[in-house]
Amino acid sequence: MSSGLHKVIGVDLLTDLTYMLRLERNDMSFVPGQCFNLGLPDTAVNREYSSYSGVYDNELQFLIRQVEGGQVSPKFRDLRPGDAVEVDGAYGLFVIDPDLAATRKFYFIATGTGIAPFHCFAKSFRNLDYQLIHGTRHANESYHRQHYEKGRYINCATKDQNSDFHGRVTDYLLANPIPGDALFYLCGNRNMINDAYDILRSRQISGSQIITEVFF
Amino acid sequence: MKVAISYPPIINDRGQKAMVSQNRNVQFFKTPTYLLPVVHAQAATWLKKLGFQVIWDDGNAQLKSYEQWYEDLVAAAPNVIVFESTTPVMNFYWRTTSQLKQVMPNTIFIMTGYHSMRKPEETLEEAPFDIVLRSNHVDFVLSKLIPFIASNPNWRQTCDIEGLVIRDTSGKFRSTGHFRQVEPLERSPIIDRDLVSWRNYAFENGNYLQTPGTYATSVVRDCMFGKCTFCRYNGPDLTFSLLPVEKSLDEYERLINDHGVKEIFDDSGVWYRGKEAREFAEGIIKRGLHKKGCYFGFNTRFEYLDKDTIELLAKANFRFVLIGLEAADEETLIKLNKGYQLQHVERSLKWMSEAGLHPHLTVMVGYYWQTQQQLRQTVDFVKSLMFRGLARTMQVTLCTPLDYTPYHLECISKDVLLTKNYDDFDMSKLIVKTPIPHSEYYDAVKELYGIAFHPRFLLRQLRFLLTFRKRDWQFLFTYGYRAIRRVRNHIFNLTSAESTESKHQHRDANSGIAH
Repeated sequence: MSSGLHKVIGVDLLTDLTYMLRLERNDMSFVPGQCFNLGLPDTAVNREYSSYSGVYDNELQFLIRQVEGGQVSPKFRDLRPGDAVEVDGAYGLFVIDPDLAATRKFYFIATGTGIAPFHCFAKSFRNLDYQLIHGTRHANESYHRQHYEKGRYINCATKDQNSDFHGRVTDYLLANPIPGDALFYLCGNRNMINDAYDILRSRQISGSQIITEVFF
Repeated sequence: MKVAISYPPIINDRGQKAMVSQNRNVQFFKTPTYLLPVVHAQAATWLKKLGFQVIWDDGNAQLKSYEQWYEDLVAAAPNVIVFESTTPVMNFYWRTTSQLKQVMPNTIFIMTGYHSMRKPEETLEEAPFDIVLRSNHVDFVLSKLIPFIASNPNWRQTCDIEGLVIRDTSGKFRSTGHFRQVEPLERSPIIDRDLVSWRNYAFENGNYLQTPGTYATSVVRDCMFGKCTFCRYNGPDLTFSLLPVEKSLDEYERLINDHGVKEIFDDSGVWYRGKEAREFAEGIIKRGLHKKGCYFGFNTRFEYLDKDTIELLAKANFRFVLIGLEAADEETLIKLNKGYQLQHVERSLKWMSEAGLHPHLTVMVGYYWQTQQQLRQTVDFVKSLMFRGLARTMQVTLCTPLDYTPYHLECISKDVLLTKNYDDFDMSKLIVKTPIPHSEYYDAVKELYGIAFHPRFLLRQLRFLLTFRKRDWQFLFTYGYRAIRRVRNHIFNLTSAESTESKHQHRDANSGIAH
């Protein structure tokens, strides 16, 4: 755990409202799935963001959706290379036991930028056996889908026929078989988490197999 | 079916009562502070709505003696009794339940709370409880569990509601798995204030500048951050749930218009921030609730609220902001996973005090690593903030490992805990080995509470009168008396702790325990 200033490498715009903030890593260590507090210097305001980058990446990456009228996320978007960001962390227990990473099947369910910890998992654990279901409005929000092995990423878009599945992630869960022996990680919108939880329990998935993290 | 949600009066050998305080901590005080247990009140409301007969049995707030409480409960003969406990009163609950079970063998005893949720088997082994809830969402679980018990005589074998450990018919313990971490809080009913006799909690509470005051339904359960190592709202099993802004506003409107409440406090681990905080303040203004003479308050963290949002909150008649300043050295803040930087503390407080809010600091001392220099830094920094009017009130507690939080587990793994007796975890004395004598931390606490009588602090309060804000005049003339009473309570506790410890130190010197 440490805190300090990190230089901005760049801001990659992914959609109108979503971008990836890239920072120098400065030897910052973390466990896949953990988050950091990010703030602009001398503003005295910060927010938590899960690491989007993996533990072997040379930079820290954060997937951020701009909040309309927000005090933090619009300002990060305007950063230029060389600007500084205050970084505190890493924190959090939305992580995978390394022993289980080698032996269990994982089923990741995300909405929007809630995909960040799963991207981090996929980049950090080699040979991880997982399926990732990602809910978005449009298919173009399936950020960096090429980073996942073929067949592991499924995009569910509600407003776009041009996706892997047209509808909500919960519609996908209802329409498809679910592996009963997997560990289920849910991250993102709290309403999705509630609905997905109900579906999983109705399929006889034990509460002990379900781990959740609310983003918004 | 009759369900009692019970809080027995717990009185220690110094004649002090166990009071539930911020974040469900329990401390023993002579002067009472009655806090409405919000989630359990929601559970009571929900069960009543489902048609169950609910007994809201808070012996403390109802000013009963233990004997009177015990007799009344036995006479009421509920089918189910629900308790809430935490580390320093576990022994008490185990003893009490053992006694009650003898006279009420058919009653089902359910234990809730953050200690037993992490050690459910321990409670089932130590006392004849039937069920331990592992969930913090007591209202949601009870709203499913009680109807299930009512309609399934074989519930011990068949109930699979998640998050329970059940004593089965053979006496073995059966877990129903991990509890549901996120719940749609909007589905839990707004508290039935008459059912819980809300006025019993409306006056004796140091957080209120005006009475009657009350606690609102928490908008965040438990904490949006949830990473501080000493806090019970932290663990691999916890995330947070959020109540929609409009539903909370509806409750505030009802509390003000129907009950005449003059101060509302939300005891969420941290209250809304960002967009939701602004929407809430705008909602208060839009509904005209900011002109009804009612103050609002909440817990927050440094670096959660920006200047614009703070000014908007002040405009909406927010007053009391409770904020943790756990130490004034970066090393400690990092070890505690606090997630804020010391350099920003003054600015945040300046925004609040300039806007007319009354920041209340919650300070802690006595971490097992805390050096004399770190302790001095904290004392000096807090004094400086108070003298400059950047904070209006403060409380100091001895950091006590509780409820198997990460800090508690750390103390165990580093072998710094000086006792295993849960009775000693009551925050009245330090129970960890420290690099300097415990008396140094106690002296620091006294020095900090002494600020209330310091001429520089008093002078600063007089200067606040020049703002001609009603709340600043009330602060000096109403709150001052209560503050002095509270300070006397803390000093009494520490004096007692010191005298007890000096006896123990004499004994420990012979057994080689280092403080």
